[in-house]
Amino acid sequence: MERDTHFILGVYVDEDVLLHAVEKVRGSGVKIHEVYSPYPVHGLEHALGYKRSKLPIAAFLFGMLGTSLALTMQFYMMKFDWPMIIGGKNYAAFPDFVPVSFEMTVLLAAFGMVGVFLITSNLKPWAQPRIFDVRSTDDKHIMAIDLANNTSLKEDKIKSILTSSGATEVNRKSFE
Amino acid sequence: MQGTSSVRQPLVTGGKTYHDVTHDVSRQVEGKPSKLWYMAFLTAASVLALGSIALLTTLWEGIGTWGLNKTVGWAWDITNFVWWVGIGHAGTLISAVLLLFRQKWRTSINRAAEAMTIFAVICAAMFPVIHMGRPWLGAYWALPLPNTYGSLWVNFNSPLLWDVFAISTYFSVSLVFWYIGLIPDFATIRDRATGLRRKIYGALSFGWDGAAKTWMRYESVSLILAGLATPLVLSVHTIVSFDFATSVIPGWHTTIFPPYFVAGAIFSGFAMVLTLMIITRKVYKLEDYITIGHIELMNIVIIITGSIVGIAYITEFFIAWYSGVDAEQYAFINRATGPYWWAYWSMMTCNVISPQLFWIKKIRTSIVATFLLSLVVNIGMWFERFVIIVTSLHRDYLPSSWAMFYPSWADVGVYLFTFGVFFTFFFLFAKFFPVINMAEVKSVLKSTSEKAHK
Amino acid sequence: MKETKKTYWKGLEQLSNDPGYVKHADSEFTELPSALNEDGTASRRDFLKLMGFSLAAASLAACETPVRKAIPYVNKPIDINPSIPNYYASTFSSGGDYAAVVVKTREGRPIKIDGNELSPITKGKVNALVEASVLSLYDKQRLVGPMISGAASDWEKVDAQVKASLASAGAIKIVTNTLLSPSTEKVLQEFSAAFGGAEVVAYDAISNFGIHKASELFYGQGIIPSYHFDKAKTIVSFGADFLGTWISPIEFAGAYAKTRKITKEKPEMSKHFQFESNLSLTGANADYRTPIKVSQSGLAVLALYNALATKAGLATVSASKVEVAHLDQAANELWNSKGASLVISGSNDPHVQVIIHAINELLGNNGATVDFSNPVYYRKGNDTRMDQFITELKSGSVGGVIFYNCNPVYDHPRGADIAAVIAKAKLSIATNGTLDETSSLVQIVAPDHHFLESWNDFQPKKGQYSLSQPTISPLFNTRQAQDSFLTWAGSTTSYFDYLQAQWNSTLFPTWGTGLSFQEFWDRSLFNGVLSTTSEPSIVAPVGNVTAAAAEVSKSYQASNAGAELVVYAKVGIGNGTFANNPWLQEMPDPITKATWDNYLTVSQKWASENGVTMVEENTKKATLTVNGKSIQVPILVQPGQAYDTFGLALGYGRTKAGKVANGVGVNAYDLLTSAKGFVSYELTSKVEVAVTEESYKIARTQTHQTFMARENVIQEATLAEYKKDASAGRYKPEIYKDGEFVKPSKISLWNGHKYSQHHWGLAIDMNSCIGCGACTVACQVENNVAVVGKQEVLNRREMAWIRIDRYYSSDAAADDLSGLEIAAENPEVTFQPMMCQQCNNAPCETVCPVAATTHSSEGLNQMTYNRCIGTRYCANNCPYKVRRFNWFKYHDNKDFAGVNITQNDDLGKMVLNPDVTVRVRGVMEKCSMCVQRIQAGKLTAKREKRTLVDGEINVACAVACPTDALVFGDMNDPSSKVSKLLKIEESDDASKQVGEERAYHVLEEINVSPNVWYFTKIRNKEKNEA
Repeated sequence: MERDTHFILGVYVDEDVLLHAVEKVRGSGVKIHEVYSPYPVHGLEHALGYKRSKLPIAAFLFGMLGTSLALTMQFYMMKFDWPMIIGGKNYAAFPDFVPVSFEMTVLLAAFGMVGVFLITSNLKPWAQPRIFDVRSTDDKHIMAIDLANNTSLKEDKIKSILTSSGATEVNRKSFE
Repeated sequence: MQGTSSVRQPLVTGGKTYHDVTHDVSRQVEGKPSKLWYMAFLTAASVLALGSIALLTTLWEGIGTWGLNKTVGWAWDITNFVWWVGIGHAGTLISAVLLLFRQKWRTSINRAAEAMTIFAVICAAMFPVIHMGRPWLGAYWALPLPNTYGSLWVNFNSPLLWDVFAISTYFSVSLVFWYIGLIPDFATIRDRATGLRRKIYGALSFGWDGAAKTWMRYESVSLILAGLATPLVLSVHTIVSFDFATSVIPGWHTTIFPPYFVAGAIFSGFAMVLTLMIITRKVYKLEDYITIGHIELMNIVIIITGSIVGIAYITEFFIAWYSGVDAEQYAFINRATGPYWWAYWSMMTCNVISPQLFWIKKIRTSIVATFLLSLVVNIGMWFERFVIIVTSLHRDYLPSSWAMFYPSWADVGVYLFTFGVFFTFFFLFAKFFPVINMAEVKSVLKSTSEKAHK
Repeated sequence: MKETKKTYWKGLEQLSNDPGYVKHADSEFTELPSALNEDGTASRRDFLKLMGFSLAAASLAACETPVRKAIPYVNKPIDINPSIPNYYASTFSSGGDYAAVVVKTREGRPIKIDGNELSPITKGKVNALVEASVLSLYDKQRLVGPMISGAASDWEKVDAQVKASLASAGAIKIVTNTLLSPSTEKVLQEFSAAFGGAEVVAYDAISNFGIHKASELFYGQGIIPSYHFDKAKTIVSFGADFLGTWISPIEFAGAYAKTRKITKEKPEMSKHFQFESNLSLTGANADYRTPIKVSQSGLAVLALYNALATKAGLATVSASKVEVAHLDQAANELWNSKGASLVISGSNDPHVQVIIHAINELLGNNGATVDFSNPVYYRKGNDTRMDQFITELKSGSVGGVIFYNCNPVYDHPRGADIAAVIAKAKLSIATNGTLDETSSLVQIVAPDHHFLESWNDFQPKKGQYSLSQPTISPLFNTRQAQDSFLTWAGSTTSYFDYLQAQWNSTLFPTWGTGLSFQEFWDRSLFNGVLSTTSEPSIVAPVGNVTAAAAEVSKSYQASNAGAELVVYAKVGIGNGTFANNPWLQEMPDPITKATWDNYLTVSQKWASENGVTMVEENTKKATLTVNGKSIQVPILVQPGQAYDTFGLALGYGRTKAGKVANGVGVNAYDLLTSAKGFVSYELTSKVEVAVTEESYKIARTQTHQTFMARENVIQEATLAEYKKDASAGRYKPEIYKDGEFVKPSKISLWNGHKYSQHHWGLAIDMNSCIGCGACTVACQVENNVAVVGKQEVLNRREMAWIRIDRYYSSDAAADDLSGLEIAAENPEVTFQPMMCQQCNNAPCETVCPVAATTHSSEGLNQMTYNRCIGTRYCANNCPYKVRRFNWFKYHDNKDFAGVNITQNDDLGKMVLNPDVTVRVRGVMEKCSMCVQRIQAGKLTAKREKRTLVDGEINVACAVACPTDALVFGDMNDPSSKVSKLLKIEESDDASKQVGEERAYHVLEEINVSPNVWYFTKIRNKEKNEA
């Protein structure tokens, strides 16, 4: 980071409290940097106003790619590149191509989507995440507010909003 | 989201808090392994070592070291292959299908079940390779790779080639599915750890930070993966059954095989999951997470699939009679009354009759009974594959070629080897990976446990 | 041999024998003798270098082992072109067995023996034994040079010592099997002349002296007549296995088959009655087979005589009554086909044979089916004389004895006596090529060439001559026996010159005009055979039946309470001379399908009474006691075996045959007696069989005996039915589709492919297949099929590409599945040759993941060894189970060196066919329809810029088949024999439509559309009769 970044952290224990808190905090004009939870909290993404993930589309496209690759490969190899009489069947015995096509569809759909997921979420073995509070992977929900994005509001003000929204504790954390 | 229901008994008992969950699961990874674990692991490892003697002999001398002959070209090898694949299926089903059906009770068992899937598929995948006459070539000649033989390609008409694609796809997708699920839990362990372990689990956790956006993507990824894995798991055993169903051998050439094999797979898979879970919950004192409730629910699945399998057996006989094909009719009469009658009737007893005991609640909810029956079912399912493969082959069309199959020590040894592989991997997993999906358990904790956060 | 090179025949294409080439050939071989030294291996290697051939390069080309370098020709002999085979007409003869053959050589190595079609006797046919005999040339057991008292020596020493001691030895006997060679006889005469009347004593391992003696008694001359089975409408045989082992089986099988082939145009076939104790190959082919106790057989013969005599209004002879089923029917049939019928007996009892002669005389068969004016010269052995000789030897009155290529110590009933007293002879010599039971006991061994290395002539029949010529330079430092005799007799001429001189003086003059002797000789040598016409000598009966009848009545009885042993010869091993040949050892016995063993065949009734059951290969051993001699021998339950009779095969229990045969089975010769002046193979008294507790495994290639009444496999009818309806017995499966029943071939997803060029097909007539197994050995030789040994056969892993399925009928009802597994007490037998059916819709091809087995554009199912990864899926999915897997590495593997010698020891490897790869471990193999022959034929046609002629390409099994049961050809060629036979509708479709009603596909209902057709089996009998 070229400049120090300062965060206000709201710590929540109950997911329902958290959900309301998120609405409350946003309602009072505070821009939430991100909320960190030990497990998926349903509805949180709505509360934070995130758009629906596009991963399903990625999966579909990769699936289609798989199907077409499989079919092209099988027709090319069996009918055009080296046709051989096998069991008295036609060179391109379509029914026999279905299983492989299906499998390759699934394979590419799965891998394509997961790949996109890892990239978009910046998940990789050497990734160094910013840990606001280690309890966020244990039993606490951490709401992080980046002061740089909330210059309009005073720090204490934000703290009080958090406390009133039900945060069990409010901390300040800075990263060099 | 679903509200708390007071009628349904909690999935996680003993009033666990979120932190308890984290602690109970993570401590297995962090603490020194128990004596029990060492014993179990060493047993598995020595079985592995023992079996590898048979495996090496086979590879060095040739398949001739097995009991196969000109008439029975497959026996234990493919029996074991199908058996292991079948076992593998339960894991995927539990995590994928139950996820689609939003069955919360899956959360505490899916991790181990998926792990089991991975290891079972590894064991299964070994057989198609080592049963080859020339595995050192077959291992890669069975793939559509460009080659120097004027690019001689593989034969896409062959069910065996479909297997290659099905099994490899199934394995890699299951692996991904499993690993994605592990990432958040690795993060949890990372955040509890220090020093080297922190580094290792840091890398394993792919820098997971539990941000809401990531959780959102994570959710849709696991949902879609589940959506993909469900038809995949069905397709895999369907394709495995094609090895037989598309052939011309009486007793193999049967259209009922795909559903019948899939049912059988779930059947044996659930049995294996039970076997393992009952051990794990004991060893790791996870009785509060894997409750009698879980076990009972799985036993119900076993009754159902067991009955489906039973109906399939009967249907086969009916169709054989109804088809009016002599060879077909003989094949089935020979199963029940021929030289391998004992195999057939062990199959019938283990797979059709014994699971019916689960109608009785007392048995259904008894740990001991469940454990024993789960073993019985797995034995029965091994015999099912043996019956299909060997009794069909040993007396097919031309009586002049009829022969018997007698297993050799190498047959047994190689089977033993796969057990070694399976349990060695499983115990390693149980030590170094969180055996229960903490994040998912936590997500259902509140709705089921009253004092979730104290 | 140097001189001999000048006329050394160099194959068919070398008919014009120009001197230039002789010079070349000569210079090519001049160094040869120098290369030969005492050490056999070294000399062979050098010899190979001279021949410029390395087997390894050719035979191991497909293996992943590093390919060894082939040594190029220094200067190429004119007639030897790499990869181009040469063929030499020659003759196989051993102990009175005879076959005119053509030897195929590659790069100077004989690798295959086929029949010589110019021969009027064997008509281009061979049997398993002859097929396999080529391997005996490369037998490691062969002596590499002469020996004196057990130590290697050289010919000078041997000659010196022999000459010296012969002079002083005193009475000299030359012991030999039947001599078919006039010139050799002449040589022996000269020899005996030189040594004050050395006497030639001839015996045969399997004696037919009885017929000789009978002819002497009945016709006044000791001869064996020619039998013309092809002219016989009714054939009655009392225990004579004329299709398998009796006198001249190759000749007889061919002739017999002529009378069994039927067509719509000629719906007639011979009627064949067989009365015997063991189920013989011949009995298995009979229309009516009656199991009788051998002690009755003589009386049965008498009964037949009387029945016929009555019909003829002649005096009957007194004979005690005997109940034998079908005997009267046989009599009627014989009478109705007078002059075109034939009665024979396998008995070696002269008196029985006299009656047989009388019967044939009575039926007017003499001169028609039984030809005394053209006697045969096989089996001239004289049991009485041999007995005398042994007595003389005992008494020490024999000064010197020379065993000329015979092994009496092993294969004579009194072999033990000979062994015991042979030392009493001052001089004992053997010319045997190996150190066998006899030659290992003599002072001097002067090893003869192998017959493929030697010159000789033969007269198998009156007026029929044939020649044998070297097809390879001697591998070892051996010397042709005749040369030895000549040398010892003080002559300096080589046997080759002697032979030519003989022909010049005897045969050439009778040949008439036009040719110089050289031309005459070349021509005879080229043809390999020579027929001369001789005025028929009339033979009229002089003997008296009543006397013989009395004798017979004495030695036979209507009912014998005791056990009886019938000693027989197996089709494969025969008299045991070639026992060290793994091909023969592993060849399944046509009846029992057992390999690597002889055993006591017992009837099912006896087995159940004595609590013996054979489950798969498991059985018990029995103690067999004959005249006080006891041996332990495994039991084999044999349907069709007469109750309380037992069969035991000769030719086993060799002790000095070599690593393959030593200790395999038991020696039945020990049990025989020659008490009555002739060797009797029927032991009717003092025989006891006791089951022991010792269990044993007999390696059989087929353990299930019946065909479970499966019409889709075996389709048969009786002649009467066939006459009514040509498609009688056919099973025509139909499948219900869209409201109608259609042929399975009509139901398919695919349109199928077209074979625009050739479409190879095979038609197999189950009526003329006698199940002799010649094809199986021929295939093994042609295609380098591995021998796997007893243990692997027990593991059901024999590698044979073609097998003959032998099915027994069962008495059970068609729906009694467990009952159908049990063969009838006296079953009908059906033989079905089974090889890859080359299916157009091959199930094996579809399932191979790597496309290692695919279909050719000529209808062949091809196996690509080096692509195969060995999943065995194809074998599992083969409905005919004809695919064979290389479970182990069978070549260059010490575990198999003892049995699979053709792929393990460097000498044995020389017999491998360079056109066929030796398969590696882990790959599948199967019948290729001799694709190498098809390719060779097509190339020849291409080179000569012409289309293929039907018959120029033929598969090894069909070539060997003595009965022409297999017909191979191009089904796209309407003029081909196979097309005509099957009445194929002209088209280039993959699945051909055949018009022949008898032709069917095995397992038609699964519509794999094979290119192999079978013809229904027709039996000349009424239904519901065993």
